[in-house]
Amino acid sequence: METITTYLDNMFARLPKTAQMIDLKNNIMTNMEDKYNELKEAGKSEHEAIGIVISEFGNIDELVSELDINLDTKEDTRQTITKEEADTYLTEKSKSGSLIGIGVFLCFLAAASLILINQLVADQIIGKDLSSKAKDVFGLIPLFLLVAIAVGIFIYSGMKMEKYAYIEKGIHLPSSVKSYIQQKYDSYTPTYSVTVIIGVCLILISPIALFISSVMGENASTYGVVILLLMVAIAVYVFIYYGSLREGYGKLLEIDEYSNHTKKEEKVIGAVASIVFPLATCIFLFCGFVYSLWYIAWIVFPITGILFGMFSAAYSIIKGNQE
Amino acid sequence: MISSDVIRGYNDTMILFILLKGESYGYEISKNIKAQSDEKYIMKETTLYSAFERLEKNGYIESFYGDETFGKRRTYYRITPKGQVYYKEKCEEWNITKDVINRFMKETDK
Repeated sequence: METITTYLDNMFARLPKTAQMIDLKNNIMTNMEDKYNELKEAGKSEHEAIGIVISEFGNIDELVSELDINLDTKEDTRQTITKEEADTYLTEKSKSGSLIGIGVFLCFLAAASLILINQLVADQIIGKDLSSKAKDVFGLIPLFLLVAIAVGIFIYSGMKMEKYAYIEKGIHLPSSVKSYIQQKYDSYTPTYSVTVIIGVCLILISPIALFISSVMGENASTYGVVILLLMVAIAVYVFIYYGSLREGYGKLLEIDEYSNHTKKEEKVIGAVASIVFPLATCIFLFCGFVYSLWYIAWIVFPITGILFGMFSAAYSIIKGNQE
Repeated sequence: MISSDVIRGYNDTMILFILLKGESYGYEISKNIKAQSDEKYIMKETTLYSAFERLEKNGYIESFYGDETFGKRRTYYRITPKGQVYYKEKCEEWNITKDVINRFMKETDK
């Protein structure tokens, strides 16, 4: 029976989705179902029944010419994708989410390792025999190494996702595939909500590491910064990994925030985000290293977060009003 | 098998013939056509529904939702008075057509 549904979906895929057309398609579907059931009752095999029903469908062009559909003006240039393609896309999306998450995690790790190594050197726990110049450079080695690996990962995952660019441009999903994806998405949503809560909690409690360590002593607060960065890094990884899978579902199902309509808006907000957050990290590191303001510099993260949230909300509202 | 080119002009007439006996829905109509033709003609889905669209646009039939007590909601069709007039015209047209064509057929028994 599913074969027949898919067949009919494909036949109607390039036709406009008007109420009349949906009605017509449903009627034909009922008709084909009746015929299929009767053939099965008459003792035909599954294959035979499907074969007969499909062979008696006819030619879709007959309907097209009768209904006076002008396919040239309304032509749907979006690609139709199958269940397998949708599944592969989601798997790849989740893999690339994991890769990007790891990349970002490594960037945080790079910053953390720089702080950690400098402090370890200062505390004379490691590198006692190094010259003072070598001591300065020592911390930079893992920093650049980790950032280089991260950049490599970004480029690799970007290239892997390139072949799915057509999905991001908007695709046509046959209704049978759509309901399948919708089901998967519905069962995924609770997982996503839980991970967002976990991520937000991690970020909220991360300054605690700083408070505890500063109580333990002057030098210990630097180690607190390292722990804070690692906690934020884990949270960011969780956001990116689970968010990317959700985005995958969103794009397939063309949920509002991922539809063509708001894509432009998303791009602006995305561009601002990609400048603002690294900038915040720079300020954090700068204040820390140059002015030794570790105990308070972390405040740039929540402030940036709140300001960015306000900006994106305001931008959406203003854009929405213009239309 | 009958070529669809030959029969094209009379698909609508066949459907109207079935509907003259009472209102009916898609599959029942196509089943009746198959039975009436002694299984020599099977109307394809697209032919059937193109015909419904055309007949309804011309006001020869009306469609309405039947309320099924169990199973799915079906679209039913019934013939209109205008459709009955049209059916009679087509019958007369066919009599003439048949007569004309027959005059060119060698193998027909006169």
